Amino acid sequence: MSRKDEILGRIRAGIGTRYDMPSLDDIAPITYPDPLAAFIASSKVAGSEVVELENGDTVDSIIRKRFPSAGTIASNLPEVSIANLNPDTVESAAALDGTDVGVIRGELGVAENGCIWIPQAMKEKAVCFISENLVILLPREAIVNNMHEAYRRVDPGRYGYGTFISGPSKTADIAQTLVMGAQAARSVTVILI
Amino acid sequence: MTQHSKKAAAFLKDAKYSQWHDATFWAVRSKRDTMAQGLPEWERLREKASAIKRHTLSHLDEYLEQFAAQAQKNGAVVHWAADADEFNAIVLDILQAAGVKKIVKSKSMLTEECGMNPYLEAKGIEVVETDLGERIIQLMGQRPSHIVMPAVHLSPDQVGELFEREGISDEIGNHDPTYLTYRARLSLRNEFLTAGAGMTGANFGIAATGDIVVCTNEGNADMSTSCPKLHIAALGLEKVIPDYDCLAVFQRMLCRAGTGQPTTSYTSHFRKARPGAQAMHIILVDNGRSQWIGNPDHWEILKCIRCGSCMNTCPVYRRSGGFSYSYFIPGPLGVNLGMLRDFEAHKGNLSACTLCMSCQSVCPVKIDLGEQIYKWRQMSGAIPPAKKALCKGMSMVYNHPLLYKTATRVLKPFHSLDLEKDE
Ligand code: SF4
Repeated sequence: MSRKDEILGRIRAGIGTRYDMPSLDDIAPITYPDPLAAFIASSKVAGSEVVELENGDTVDSIIRKRFPSAGTIASNLPEVSIANLNPDTVESAAALDGTDVGVIRGELGVAENGCIWIPQAMKEKAVCFISENLVILLPREAIVNNMHEAYRRVDPGRYGYGTFISGPSKTADIAQTLVMGAQAARSVTVILI
Repeated sequence: MTQHSKKAAAFLKDAKYSQWHDATFWAVRSKRDTMAQGLPEWERLREKASAIKRHTLSHLDEYLEQFAAQAQKNGAVVHWAADADEFNAIVLDILQAAGVKKIVKSKSMLTEECGMNPYLEAKGIEVVETDLGERIIQLMGQRPSHIVMPAVHLSPDQVGELFEREGISDEIGNHDPTYLTYRARLSLRNEFLTAGAGMTGANFGIAATGDIVVCTNEGNADMSTSCPKLHIAALGLEKVIPDYDCLAVFQRMLCRAGTGQPTTSYTSHFRKARPGAQAMHIILVDNGRSQWIGNPDHWEILKCIRCGSCMNTCPVYRRSGGFSYSYFIPGPLGVNLGMLRDFEAHKGNLSACTLCMSCQSVCPVKIDLGEQIYKWRQMSGAIPPAKKALCKGMSMVYNHPLLYKTATRVLKPFHSLDLEKDE
């Protein structure tokens, strides 16, 4: 007998009552009169900056204004013409180390907690984490109320990886003091487009 | 005095520190309350979370098969490990076959449970923990004192001096947490870029899709899997849940209950290996779980999602610290898991409970933690010689449902809550 069969056999022998799956239709999860405003508030709590693309702004101009001294800007997005490193064409993930600003696209924002769904849409997903500062472009109409709604819509896509990001990398591992910028991005800017 | 109460007494000698410890965890508990009260549906979520877990565990055979089949379809290699030794050997095999000399890993209570790090290190493989707290205690040569905040027992000065000794920080005497975190970031950055493999635990395995889901605040699980070309994920059998709809329930609760945040910074879903990387390896680890499922009084402990809130709220944990417990997981969860693991070795933790039941009133998956401790006490108690002999085989008894039922009947007359005479 294989290990798998042994283990499954022990489980079958041990299981007592078999319980039914509960219905999840009556959770009545939280919703917001203005999901976008709630999303912006949650994002700030998570430590993100939220910038709305106004008339006359371009993604390039906002990035330049926010990160005037940025040397390496990594992105594969067509609207980021100031990018000088492409996560699709770099030789390896390590080549992205030293990136000052990484720019990626988010698909969905979640009002209750500021999570943004990022399906991998580049060869090296390291750009989402290794960059000192992360910029996420998010369509302002792509906001859902809560994670139940979000999980109905997301899919890790062709690269088979996706992550919800809410704010910068953070830790409180030293004496419970909150510090932004543990191992991944030290700042997150969400540009609502 | 029990083993736990002796250690607790020592912990309490440092009054200033023990008060800080108590207040720190009470603050986390209060943050959890704020989160819970912020969601009108919180108690409904707890009901659903508990019911989903009951359903899943009582159909675990089916969900594990589905999970493994999906993961294989996604290109992953799925391994089944009966116990800690087998798990460690599988990891070593994978690493040796790939010629890996160094791995970076994210926090995993499972690898701690299996003693993986010392095993790999003895075989010449360098293991680098990348969660900041885990890295600190690894360099200290300690075990975690809390499952979510592993280095909470150390002061900034202790961490600062450690980093000076290790050459991680270069400004001697600068023990500011922000500075120390930054220095650790630089040092770990180098490890991510030079490791041959990344290892993660899993908060959840999704049966419908074969995804491994990992939640972190630091992004270290993502860093660990974005740079090296090999990803190994280890999960206990009980981590598998049916689908994304269920995941939504647990994702919403895990962090709110644990640290009092609305979400972790990263909730990452690994379905396939990165382009150009080797196949992902997923190791499903039993190590007692398949037997615990058959324990009529204690199987529900397997519902646990390792949020840590039962220890944060526990008046005994707050006033005795993680190292007072003999099992590597402290608090109400650890008391119960320790008893399942090895009755004799860990019964000295049974006194670490006032039966206030605070743990089970905060537990997001509604595990009857306090009641389970009470049941263990009834099996333990002041032990007459006849029962003492029985206790020798107790771990075995608990692992066999039928034997267990008989044993409970035999032991009934000896029930006592007097643990003082126990040690
Ligand atoms: S037993 Fe409940 S409260 Fe304790 S860690 Fe597990 S899920 Fe959290």
